[in-house]
Amino acid sequence: MKLLPSGMLRSKSRILALVLIVGGGAIVHAQEAPYFVTYDHHLEEPGNLEIATWTTVGLPRSGQKLFFAPFSEFEYGVTGRWTAELYLEGQATSGDSAVFTGWRLENRFRPLEREHWINPVLYFEYEGINEATKILKEVVGNAGISNERNAELASVHAHEIETKLILSSSFHDWNVSENFIVEKNLSADEGFEFGYALGVSRPLSKLASGEECRFCLENFNAGLELYGGLGTTNGFGFHKTAHYLAPVISWQVSNNSSIHFSPSFGLTDVSYPALLRFGYAYEIRGFGSKVARLFGGSR
Amino acid sequence: MRWATLTLFSATALLLAQNINYQPDAKWRAPEEAAAKKNPLAEKPELAAGGRKLFKRNCVECHGDSGQGLKNAADLQLPIVQDQSDGALYWKIINGNPDRGMPSFSGIPELQRWQIVLYLRTLKPDNTEKTGK
Repeated sequence: MKLLPSGMLRSKSRILALVLIVGGGAIVHAQEAPYFVTYDHHLEEPGNLEIATWTTVGLPRSGQKLFFAPFSEFEYGVTGRWTAELYLEGQATSGDSAVFTGWRLENRFRPLEREHWINPVLYFEYEGINEATKILKEVVGNAGISNERNAELASVHAHEIETKLILSSSFHDWNVSENFIVEKNLSADEGFEFGYALGVSRPLSKLASGEECRFCLENFNAGLELYGGLGTTNGFGFHKTAHYLAPVISWQVSNNSSIHFSPSFGLTDVSYPALLRFGYAYEIRGFGSKVARLFGGSR
Repeated sequence: MRWATLTLFSATALLLAQNINYQPDAKWRAPEEAAAKKNPLAEKPELAAGGRKLFKRNCVECHGDSGQGLKNAADLQLPIVQDQSDGALYWKIINGNPDRGMPSFSGIPELQRWQIVLYLRTLKPDNTEKTGK
């Protein structure tokens, strides 16, 4: 029988413990808005890790191709006022191929300590993606629909910086959020691109029942999103820009997981006629402290 | 002598049952107007059951199953918490204290936040733990 070196054994047991932490996580907070594109001012709770998988399906006009663009999200609450996220994304187009389209590193900061009528959040994202990306996590600039093949698109790499000003308010049970987006492709001389996203949502029940239940109305959150491009520095405005109107709904399936769904309807000729978005999110509470303890820390 | 031992034992048990890491933040106070707000559900104590569910979903991670306080979070059974008005507790749920690790829970619907306050009022020191019964 071959014995493993103690260092390797320790590493394996740490990996096993990490898997147990991920698999044995607990509670997701019930206050997440159901949006896919719009951000509100609620950040991830410190030390919690949310793992989510999202998919955007683009339904084509004649002459276009159906696409399927899944992406994974790892969201971590670094502090009470700072949330960091990593995205990995891909895309498959009918009659074409499936390609990895890149990664994104996102940070959100909440500058004000207390709750106000309007709560600002500052958003910075670095994107290492290629031109085949179709997750449409946001819409900016003059969004055109390309019919080029994936192999050609994936060979064009883009390093992009994206910033957002997120404004969000809670009125009784309602959330109202407005996002203003500025994006710059550092790999091309094409100026700045602008976009927006607006969202309004509320839970379907004002009160929580005393019983544990999956289908209680309080576990559902519904709303509406409107998002689109606002042109570039070469031509700011609505001319040749894509816009979408999207009902959204989320369902808190259990204490630690939720399902989200949204059909988006294109409002202009350069929009896709319809997008279907769906996703599943799972939250691991106290992830940071569990990992720190695993490696001998006391956090 | 027996009474003195019993008193000393009880005091030690009480101290051990509390979250000794918790340091109240003197600056974290609800404005007077917010603290004066009345709980609109005060006459419906039966709704505390829903508050308990929300507490389990949102609060036990830091405050523990019976609100005894974990990590650096407050022991919600202590008089320093229970002596605060409903409005003050409600304000703290909405605003949080992000620099001390308490997130804002303003995304929870208004009446559900008041349900949590109702439930907080039911938290009592867990005597079974302290007496060993």
